[in-house]
Amino acid sequence: MTRAMIRLVRAEFVKLRTTQVWFWLLIAALGISVLAVLGNFLSDPGIRSARDVPQIFANSDIACLAVFVLGVLGVTTEFRYQTITPTVLITPSRWTLITAKMIAYALLGILYALACVALQLAMTLPWLATRNISFDLGDPDLRRALFGLFLVLALYGIIGLGVGALLKNQIVAVTLGVIFLLILQNLLAAIPGVRHAWPYMPAGANAAILNSQSNAPDTVTILSPAAGVVVLLLWAFIPALLGAGITMNRDIT
Amino acid sequence: MTETAPEPDGRIVVDQLTKVFGGKVRAVDRLSFTVEPGSVTGFLGPNGAGKTTTLRMVLGLVHPTAGTATISGVAYKSLRDPISHVGAALESSSFHPARSGRNHLRIQCIAAGLPLERADQVLETVGLAAAGKRKVRGYSLGMRQRLGLAAALIGDPRVLVLDEPANGLDPDGIRWLRGFFKHLASEGRSVLVSSHQLNEVQEIADRVVILNRGQLVRSGSIRELLADTDSVLVRGPDLGPLDAALRAHGFNPTQTGPTSFVVQGIETEHVGHLAFGAGVELHELSKQGFDLEDLFFQLTAEQAPGAPTMGSAQ
Repeated sequence: MTRAMIRLVRAEFVKLRTTQVWFWLLIAALGISVLAVLGNFLSDPGIRSARDVPQIFANSDIACLAVFVLGVLGVTTEFRYQTITPTVLITPSRWTLITAKMIAYALLGILYALACVALQLAMTLPWLATRNISFDLGDPDLRRALFGLFLVLALYGIIGLGVGALLKNQIVAVTLGVIFLLILQNLLAAIPGVRHAWPYMPAGANAAILNSQSNAPDTVTILSPAAGVVVLLLWAFIPALLGAGITMNRDIT
Repeated sequence: MTETAPEPDGRIVVDQLTKVFGGKVRAVDRLSFTVEPGSVTGFLGPNGAGKTTTLRMVLGLVHPTAGTATISGVAYKSLRDPISHVGAALESSSFHPARSGRNHLRIQCIAAGLPLERADQVLETVGLAAAGKRKVRGYSLGMRQRLGLAAALIGDPRVLVLDEPANGLDPDGIRWLRGFFKHLASEGRSVLVSSHQLNEVQEIADRVVILNRGQLVRSGSIRELLADTDSVLVRGPDLGPLDAALRAHGFNPTQTGPTSFVVQGIETEHVGHLAFGAGVELHELSKQGFDLEDLFFQLTAEQAPGAPTMGSAQ
């Protein structure tokens, strides 16, 4: 990474730090994480052995919604408040600009994942102790769930950027994005025939990466973890690159 | 075109620049002009004349349909460290309302690799040091304009491109702005400043570029433009013979009242001599001070819709 790129990534972080939205979305992500832990422990059959521990983290991927919204706002706020003008005057290359944002928001997704996992561990470890269940970081399933969660959150930051860059309008991008991720994907999964596209949806990719077949609709088999990574990478990069190449290359008036 | 070590002189060259929006609206039409290094150039025209679109094309924000705009010989996006070469203040509202003015400037410092102290220095320069830590939401329009100017200055650029910087300023602010321009010019910076109000620019600009309906109406130094339009007022009880004498010499008096007319492009001595020769009694013979505002209205009024373009007197 060049020095110029490091400066631009830093600038993106300062842009976020000097407004409040990152804080409220972090609260939302943490809230979702807490609910995921509670849900896993309190549901039936719940967490009964060390084999069930990975699913706590594998089922926490809804926190990606917060990172997605953050990514959307990372682009659309610049258009809404016309800060895109000074931003582009400093960095006339829209490719450089979107690359810096992608790096910044992927890192941000990882930071959110760190915060979420830390909070979940703080709840999970004592709870497991009361049930005499061991917590073994050597467990490959647990490692994969944790690593997968970091990867998913990092990529949803980029997905958000891409959707924001394509749609430009803040309210439209957030609303459509959240409706798609939260509702539409699941509706599609309910339609026979169409449901076999589900593994190629972001939610399907999440399930593949986190290896949680239980999240998939009936009769639908999730992809391999590697294929899930590829699918989610496509969801992340295609909109971002289209956004940089088409929307962001338009006249800024 | 070779771009081998372009001399970073700060000259802005606009060449046959054209922008057609949506396939039909010709916002800017074959516009050509040059901003010389170290000069203050007023970019004048009524609202909707295409000034903002032109400035945005110069800065690479809007892609021209045809033609080119260069700064120091290259397109804006080819400049190395662009904001250290060209500073721009385009709209008064390109700030996140929840961010402080100072933070807005510090973000620019970080992104452009400038020392953070520059943010405080330029806030000081535009007289906003006390308000720097307040959120932009609470700024008046005048304060936002100043913050925009601070942002334009942050890279200590030799060229400044300012779009309607006086919009929303109160009389105090406009007086401050005039002093500010003089200060910038005294430092040898080139300034291209657009305005639809001529009195803002008349005192401080060396040159003007006048635009109407996307086309160049006229450009040149203010003195040249005024010299062209100097006129002589003549008043007397019976000016008929003088009128005939003037027409015989190729002048074209314009009646302004029952006992008076004005003649363009002539010296008072010449009119006096012709009046003496024609034996005409004069009650007044005076040179008319013609200010830029009159010129501006005259020039832009001539550009009626569909009328042919005026020849551009470079």
